[in-house]
This record gives sequence, structure tokens and C-alpha cells, in this order.
Amino acid sequence: MTHKFFSHQGLSSLVADLLTAQTRVIAPVCAKDDPAQVDYQLIQNVEEASFGVRLPRRSLKEFFLPPSEVLLHYKQTKTGVEIREVPTVAPPQVIFGATPCDVAGLAAVDKVMNWDYRDELWFGRREATTIVSFLCNVMDSTCFCTAVGSGPEATTGSDVLLVPVDGGYLAHLVTSKGEALLQSYGLPVNEAMMATAQAAQSAARDKVTPNLPAIPAEFAGWLARNFDHPVWKTLALRCHGCGACASVCPTCHCFDIVDEHESVDEGVRRRNWDSCQTALFTTHASGHNPRGSQSERFRQRIQHKFSIYPSRFGEILCTGCGRCSRACPGGMDLPTVVAELVALSQAKPEVSGQ
Amino acid sequence: MSDEVEPGNHHAWSPNVVAFVCNWCTYTGADLAGTSRLKMDPNVRVIKLPCSSRVNPLFIIKAFERGADGVIVSGCHTGDCHYSTGNYHARRRFAILHDLLQFMGVEEDRVTFAWVSASEGNKWQQVVNETTARVQQLGPFAPSEKQNGGVQ
Amino acid sequence: MSELQETARKLLSEGTVSVVIGYEEGPRGVRPAFITAPAQADKLIFDTRCVQNLATYLNPRRKQVAQLGRAAVVVKGCDARAVAGMIREKQIERGNVVILAMRCGGVLQNPETNSELTTQTVSVRCGGCTVREPKLFDHLLGELPPEPPVNTHRVEQIAALMKMSSSERWTFWTEQLSRCIRCHACREACPMCFCVKCTAEKSQPQWIDSSSTPQANRAWQTMRVLHQAGRCVDCLECERACPEHIPLGLLARYVADSVERRFEYTASDDPTVPAPIGVYRTDDDEEFIR
Repeated sequence: MTHKFFSHQGLSSLVADLLTAQTRVIAPVCAKDDPAQVDYQLIQNVEEASFGVRLPRRSLKEFFLPPSEVLLHYKQTKTGVEIREVPTVAPPQVIFGATPCDVAGLAAVDKVMNWDYRDELWFGRREATTIVSFLCNVMDSTCFCTAVGSGPEATTGSDVLLVPVDGGYLAHLVTSKGEALLQSYGLPVNEAMMATAQAAQSAARDKVTPNLPAIPAEFAGWLARNFDHPVWKTLALRCHGCGACASVCPTCHCFDIVDEHESVDEGVRRRNWDSCQTALFTTHASGHNPRGSQSERFRQRIQHKFSIYPSRFGEILCTGCGRCSRACPGGMDLPTVVAELVALSQAKPEVSGQ
Repeated sequence: MSDEVEPGNHHAWSPNVVAFVCNWCTYTGADLAGTSRLKMDPNVRVIKLPCSSRVNPLFIIKAFERGADGVIVSGCHTGDCHYSTGNYHARRRFAILHDLLQFMGVEEDRVTFAWVSASEGNKWQQVVNETTARVQQLGPFAPSEKQNGGVQ
Repeated sequence: MSELQETARKLLSEGTVSVVIGYEEGPRGVRPAFITAPAQADKLIFDTRCVQNLATYLNPRRKQVAQLGRAAVVVKGCDARAVAGMIREKQIERGNVVILAMRCGGVLQNPETNSELTTQTVSVRCGGCTVREPKLFDHLLGELPPEPPVNTHRVEQIAALMKMSSSERWTFWTEQLSRCIRCHACREACPMCFCVKCTAEKSQPQWIDSSSTPQANRAWQTMRVLHQAGRCVDCLECERACPEHIPLGLLARYVADSVERRFEYTASDDPTVPAPIGVYRTDDDEEFIR
């Protein structure tokens, strides 16, 4: 991995140059409805961006998997059906100021999007995007990225990681895409900068690690073996099954597919965000629902993220950003739930199949 | 006063108006308007329902979504409902819908609620022509959202 | 032990109820509590951070709560109106729930701030509250605090909207609703949205498209608030649940104002008083009808 130094001015110039070249730039911006909050948005000039203020309310997911998108247009003709697919090539864009938890989420979802078939829409956008993340310094007590194998200094999914040092930033050029982006920018680094950056990275980690201990490797297996544990019956009593958690989550990616008529003989096929937390998610046409109550649906959430996905793809489907806990109207708190389950898994001989 | 419009009218754009009418009063009144050869704008498509209380506010929302620029909802005068009390229930529902549509930014003139009895052919003519004229003035409903120019 | 804790402890130890649904300290502030053991009754709290409407948990569709058995529920006056609504509409039987009504002086708009109630911090729905001492109860508990300050923010927002032109309001709502991702969190958090099959889920035919498009979002939010007309208790759970921070409280308040103006009715905590949509008066206003 190579490194470069950027002054604050140098960084602004880079962003300004990208905008001048008509590249889409997405950055954290103060929210219109609540200036204390921040959202990732397309910006038109560098002054709009608010780096390092707080974690944006929603993840980066929506720039790669929109809440609703058209997959194809169909039209009935006299001889059959004409289908027009949407283009999968996306315009180039740069995300500036992403948090490591958000980019790690993209990397995690990449795995399932390239599993039984390659999702061209997702990867069209992924390939067109260069991501510049910042060392996170906006953690709060709900964050737990270090517990799930990530961290405020993580580079997974990122093309460039910027770490604050005196006078500017140390840029870790993580990928060749990152190198290409910064080819004509930046200055050489020195030992002092590397040391400062290293210290900042460690200090950031130290802020998050107390929130939740690292989830043990055995946890996934314990979950799989304790599908029928009585704890599931009472763990999610306060859960409304609203799916707000799934919508703000960087790694939740389930979708529903619908056909919608636009007129008598033509229409579109869309895919829309969906969530396993809703009652309708597993309701059969017969009316039967194998996950008939919220305790079963919440169990599914935990099982999928901390057991099923790891067994299939080798990593936890959670980046510890804490948004689910912050968004939850019912007061569910994922670090607390995970801590409780991990404690159960370590406490005594397993209670299985009761 | 009605705005007389020739068939194959001379306006560049002409509104689509959908009318939800009750079978017993308004539909009969509209029929009377027709048999009396009263001149009416051809913009209104009539949907016949058993009673004004069958009108779900969703019908009105859907009509706008699917290309209507204006909507008429009409039934029997209160006290005359074929099902005794349907229009009393409808009246309450329509009142809230009327207020809410304005709050959401739908111009009041786009939706006309009326009681038109079986003998009120002239009133039906007025409702049709005045609604069409008002909607003509307002222009197309949410033009940027129209798909395929709306229902043809 | 507070009066609330003692009452809960007694109800549980005597077997009158199997669970007390109330409020407790959670890792991130106040959260709903489901107390099943008498010894745990001392977890129950009640203060200005208790914004949740716990009536939602009485919905018989919530099987994981229902299977705990007969419940007691802690309610504020506004929440009691939701319980009354559920009884009125035959979702629960009066005899099947024990209502622990708290005398209330208002709650915070943002319970995470844990600050004093002022005209800026109090919830917009509290000013002028007429049910600070709820009338629907099995036990009426707590001291009556002073009247809540009045937060006029929402009233001002609605007034500002009504001063706009139609097309400005249209633009406002199109922009606000563009963020709606059709997660239906508003519906799930609402105590009065208890339909087994929601109108938005009916697919033969699909009247309200499930996609997040301007038309479908508008249809969904308009129909939901219309279905709440006269039933909504203004608990603002919908707005609090919305992950996209859409000001749903504006819609709720506007329709409630319309209902109040036209039918002289506000959501009642007396289950025998009928809700306005479903009854009528022969002299209801028809000024708006030609």
C-alpha cells in the first residue's frame, strides 16, 4: 500500500477538480430538516460537505441498491412481449468522506451479489465508484465496529483511507483505483506523519473497543445449534417489526420484485427494499407464515447476520455502525442483544432443541 | 354558465375528468341530461357505482395517479339515498378528504363533490361543464409525473 | 417503591396479570419493559422521557406478547385514548387488560436529550392536553405535574403551509414524501393500525403500489392518514419510527384538526363514544358539496 500527504487545501482542490470534470461527488452534508444531522448526498461544490461531523443517518447502500429501481420495461405487442432492460453501466462517481463502517458494508454485500449470479446493477455502480473514506472519529456508545471484525480505521471496501495528521491528511492508497484517483495529487509522506496516523488509528480503535468485546468465532456455530433456545421467545418483545433497522443498515440487502402496469399494455418490473422483519416477508400465498411472530422474525435477523452469512461467506453481515439501534422506535439495541446472546453461548452447557 | 366546447375541441390540451356517480340519482340525472340533448363537454368519463358511499377516497387518488386532471364525485341528496344512509357516511368521508387534498397541494377546483338527483339533468350539465372549465384553467395534474401522457 | 412499581408488583404476585407492559431504563434511554416477575417490578419508571405509546403492544396480532398472558399496560392520557380505540373497535376486550394510567405533565419531543420541559423541548402534542389525568383506567397513579409548556412549532409549520399556494404545498409534500421508502414503520408503530391485511398489501388488484415512487408514496401516506381520521391519538409514534424523518405529525395533526372542526370530536378515552367516521349527523356540513 502506498501513502501520500494532503493538506486541507489540497483535498478541497481535488474535490473541486472532480466537480469541474463533471464527476458525480457524494459527501456527507448537513441535513436540511435537522442541521445537527448529516446525510450522504450529491454535492455541487466542496463547501457543501461536512466531514467528520457525525455518522450520516443513512448508509451508502442507497447509492448502489436504491430503495426502488426499475429492472426492465415491458410492452405487450401483437406478437408477444418486448422487454427493454435498463443499462447496467453507471456514470463515474466518487464518494468522499465515507465512514469505514459504511464501506465495509458494501464489501460485505458484494459477496452475496456475486454468489449465485452476478448482480449487474449493483456491480455496475460499484465499478463506477471510487471511495475515499475517513478515519472515523464520530463514534458513540452505540457503535461496535471493532466487535464484528471491523474498526474505525478499517480499509475494507475503501479505495483510499484518509487519516488526520498535522496540516492535513495521510492518505492510505488501498487499491489501484485509489492510486489512479490520486495520481496527480498529494505530496510524499514522512516518518512523523506515519507515526501520527498510526497513533490516531489506535486511539480511534480504543474509543470503540470498550462498547462491545469482539464476538467470538464460536458464536456463529452456537447460534446455528440454538435455533430453538427459549431466549428467542422474549428477546424481541418490544420489536414492532417495522423494518426501520433494515432500511438504515449498511448490509441489509433483501428486496422484493414487483410488476407495475403503467398503462394497459406496458409497464415496469421493479425491485424494492424489503425486510425480513415484516410479517409479509415470509407469508405464503396460502396464508401460512413460517415466521409467524416477531420473535421468529427477530431470530432470523440475528441468525442471518451472525451465523448464516458467516457460514456462507466467511464474514459477519454487520459492520457495527449502530444505526439499527439508533433508528429503532421500540428500543431494541443490537450490542446489548449480541452481548446477551454471547454470554449465553459462553455461560453453560448448551440448551438445544427445547 | 357553461363553456361551450365543440366536439374535436379547439383547445390544445383538454382535461381528463373522471366522475364517480351513484347509480340511483346522479347516473339517472346524467342520463336525463343526455336524453335532453344538453350540450356538455366531452371530457368526463363516468364510472357508475351503487352509491356515493361506495366511493373509497383511494378511487379519487388513483384516478389522479392514472391520468385524471379532475374528478367529480356525485350522489343523491342527503335524505334521498337509495340505501337510506349511504350518503350521510359518504359526506363525512368526503369532508375529510376534501380538506386533506388541499393540504397535500391539490387545488380545490380539481375535485367537485355534488349531490345531483335523478331529475337534475341541468345540474349535471352545469357540474360537468363548470368542472371541465375550472380544470382547463388549472392545467394538467402533476404534468412531470404523467406516464405515457396518462390513460388514453 | 413507587406507587406504580408497587401496583405492578401486586398485580403480578396475585396473578391478576402475567405481564406488566411499562417503561424501563434501557442501554440507550427509556424503552418498553415487559415485566413478568414481581421482583422485577422495581424496574418500572415513569418520567418525561416516556414517549412511547405502549398500547401498540396490546394488539392481539403481536403473538409473542399475547402469549405471555393477560397484560397490564402503563399509559399516559394519549395512550389511554389508543386503548379506548382498540376496545371501541373490538380489538381487545375491556376486561382483558388492566390499565395503569399515569398522571402526566407532558413528555419530551426528543427523549434522548433528558432535559427539562420547556416550550422548545416539550413534545408538540402536549400543549393544551385535556387528558393529563386519564379517565380510562383500572389504577390512576402518580402525582399530577403542572401543565406542560406549549411547543408551537407544529402549529406554526401547519399555518405556514396553509399560507402557501397549492403548488407550493404540492412541492413541499412531493419533496418530503420522496424520502418515503415504503418500509411501513409508521404503520407498525401505530396502535390504531391493526388491520390484519393492510390496504397497501392488497394485490388483486394492487391499488397502492408498493414501490417508492412519488405517486405511490403519496397514495400510501394519504390513505393511511385518512384511515386514521378520528382514530389517531396523536402519539407521534409514526413520526418517531420513520427512518427517513418525514414529518408525518403534520398530516396527523391536520386531519385531527379537520375532524375536530367539522365533527366537534377529538379521539376519546371513553370506548363507548363512537368515532366520527362510521356515524353521522343529518345536519353535517355540506358547504363543500355542490
